[in-house]
Amino acid sequence: MTSIGTGYDLSNSVFSPDGRNFQVEYAVKAVENGATSVGIRCQDGVVFGVEKLITSPLLVPGKNRKIQTIDSHIGCVYSGLIPDGRHLVNRGRDEAASFKKIYHRPIPVDALADRLGQYVQAHTLYNSVRPFGITAIFGGVDDVKGPQLYMLEPNGSYWGYSGAATGKGRQSARAELEKLIAKHTKNIDINEDDTDNKTIQLKVRDAVKEIARIIYLAHEDNKEKEFEIEISWCSNEETQGKHKLVPKELLEEAVSFAKETLSHLEDSDDSDSDDDNNEGSATQDNEGDIVLE
Amino acid sequence: MFRNNYDGDTVTFSPTGRLFQVEYALEAIKQGSVTVGLRSSKHAVLVALKRNADELSSYQKKIIKCDEHLGLSLAGLAPDARVLSTYLRQQCNYSKLVFNRKLSVEKAGHLLSDKAQKNTQSYGGRPYGVGLLVVGYDNSGPHLLEFQPSGNILELYGSAIGARSQGSKTYLERVLKDFTEIEDVNELIKVGVEAIRQSLKDETLTVDNLSIAAVGKDLPFTVYDGELVRPFL
Amino acid sequence: MNHDPFSWGRPSDETYGTYNNTIASASPFPKMNTQQPIITGTSVISMKYNNGVIIAADNLGAYGSLLRFNDVERLIPVGKRTIVGVSGDVSDMQHIEQILSDLEIENNYDNSYADDEETLKPSYIFEYLSTLMYQRRSKMNPLWNAIIVAGVEDDKPFLKYVNLLGVTYSSPTLATGFGAHLAIPLLRRVIDREEDIESTNLELAEKTILESMKVLYYRDAHSSRKFSLAIIDKEQGLVFKKGLQVENMSWKFAKDIKGYGTQKV
Repeated sequence: MTSIGTGYDLSNSVFSPDGRNFQVEYAVKAVENGATSVGIRCQDGVVFGVEKLITSPLLVPGKNRKIQTIDSHIGCVYSGLIPDGRHLVNRGRDEAASFKKIYHRPIPVDALADRLGQYVQAHTLYNSVRPFGITAIFGGVDDVKGPQLYMLEPNGSYWGYSGAATGKGRQSARAELEKLIAKHTKNIDINEDDTDNKTIQLKVRDAVKEIARIIYLAHEDNKEKEFEIEISWCSNEETQGKHKLVPKELLEEAVSFAKETLSHLEDSDDSDSDDDNNEGSATQDNEGDIVLE
Repeated sequence: MFRNNYDGDTVTFSPTGRLFQVEYALEAIKQGSVTVGLRSSKHAVLVALKRNADELSSYQKKIIKCDEHLGLSLAGLAPDARVLSTYLRQQCNYSKLVFNRKLSVEKAGHLLSDKAQKNTQSYGGRPYGVGLLVVGYDNSGPHLLEFQPSGNILELYGSAIGARSQGSKTYLERVLKDFTEIEDVNELIKVGVEAIRQSLKDETLTVDNLSIAAVGKDLPFTVYDGELVRPFL
Repeated sequence: MNHDPFSWGRPSDETYGTYNNTIASASPFPKMNTQQPIITGTSVISMKYNNGVIIAADNLGAYGSLLRFNDVERLIPVGKRTIVGVSGDVSDMQHIEQILSDLEIENNYDNSYADDEETLKPSYIFEYLSTLMYQRRSKMNPLWNAIIVAGVEDDKPFLKYVNLLGVTYSSPTLATGFGAHLAIPLLRRVIDREEDIESTNLELAEKTILESMKVLYYRDAHSSRKFSLAIIDKEQGLVFKKGLQVENMSWKFAKDIKGYGTQKV
């Protein structure tokens, strides 16, 4: 934490002498403490999943939805400051609506990614605003490029992914995604044009279960906290190209699949999926104040 | 020596990704007197403890009606609550006028959330300093929401905000299974009053300082004050 | 008093002389909006029956008396339980179509009850459209249409009308345009009052609507043989029949019609 006490980390849009914008880096910290979100790009669509911590027994089960719809064919999930996520989604909806008004067709996912990227980036330029405290995973199917998945970070950069994870459990989730996608990929040649998404053999229906498993696995480091899981999908075959929450039965099936594979894992005492997740809390005291060096 | 340089405004993240101004706004809720909300499958109820500035002054209103099916109670800065409740009233009217439709409680929550979020991302303003319990009865039945100045909204069976609200919350958690089944609104109110007792310190509940509201299927949002609350004391 | 509206609200010529428009390069006319429809759709006809509603409209888009387009769909489904039938200007109809599609998308935003309790009901859609139509007429810039909103709400048939003037009304049988003159009497033979709805089943209602479409095709010069028909039934939901045709016609009566064209009576 060389940033603290230099004075260069107190305002957004200010560079430090070595060329960093600390306020954006701090925004990333808000994301890293957030609940885990996961997205997978499959052969026939995309799937999103998110962990929902049950902070009180008084919460109504199954409500307090986190996954949102940007346009009827695009879904979005995010980790970090949830109200910031709602702000971003509202912007996405405006962009999608304005695109439709002008071009008379649904906004392509890559075009939306570009516009949202610019919007988030603009929030790193001025000291009158703060950056977005979220990393968003969004995607869907469009007529031009089929299933697409993007992850957008607080600095405004976005990348296309075949599997993306963010939030507290991102490291173990990403490790699992890599294994999963490698297993279901016919030919890993990154130079090959994969716009038809032919190389990934995974179907959304199976990915729903895998996402549940990954979120359960990523939650392992946080075991004492109870949680719910929310999963949505968007696929031409399963949802006629619309982004929807998965049906209740499928969710239940996925959860029991996740619990089952996890209990097998515990039996065999697998310990290789554990990464160090406790970064950035060392210099903070009980009140959340920062110790000055 | 400790010094916090990161709490001066709402546009500064702390090195751990926190927004102190927003967290301080959450503290403002605890300065307000306690209010409890709970709901069964038939009704939603608000119970609030009113405060007066001194012996001779009147009691600060704690419950605000927004529409025939929607209302809220507050803890924290009352003027901020009036801004938010006026906004909800406008949105309820708009929905009625343009769509002939009751504003759904869920939508009301999202509207509040989005409005509050704006105050946390730009310089010059401050977050709202008030917590709200929003109750309503819409097409999908009774609902209770808890609103926080951060823009977070939670849907709960029961909640309590304000000074020493933890006592009420713990009580509601304990009797959760029982009160969600209650059919009679008066019985539900009694649970709410019992819950609020768990948060009292020196005060005793009287006809002057207790405020109650209820809403349900054939019960428009109704506030009970003064003599009307005597049966529940 | 000068009764020409174009002369209202300006200094009178008698006192001040003719206004010289070239001074402010002003238009000689006041601001003008739509004065007439261009491409038009003709009648929409509809009626309630014991289990729902039925609505029909042909597929013609006419350019004056030229039958210009024959594939115009004028029945717009909104959600699972509503059909909006539009007659009048087709480009205004397409504008309404976009508004309705946006409305549906917006209703699905963050709505956990979007598929049932908080779905868009016919009455919501009608209220919105009537507000819109009245607002536009009050701005002196109407959407040049007559609209029928048909659907099922709370297991009861819903049928209401609104037009470019912002006028609204409801009835067990409704029709726009020529249909209001030619079809309504036929529909009222089956349903004259509210009480008759209960004794009318889908079969009879559909037969009546088909018969009325035939009469409209016979007598309305700006109609087409091809039409669409939609049923919203409280059990079956939305049944949308496209590309239907007026069948079993008999044009024998045509030879007896006198008084048009070059023929001498």
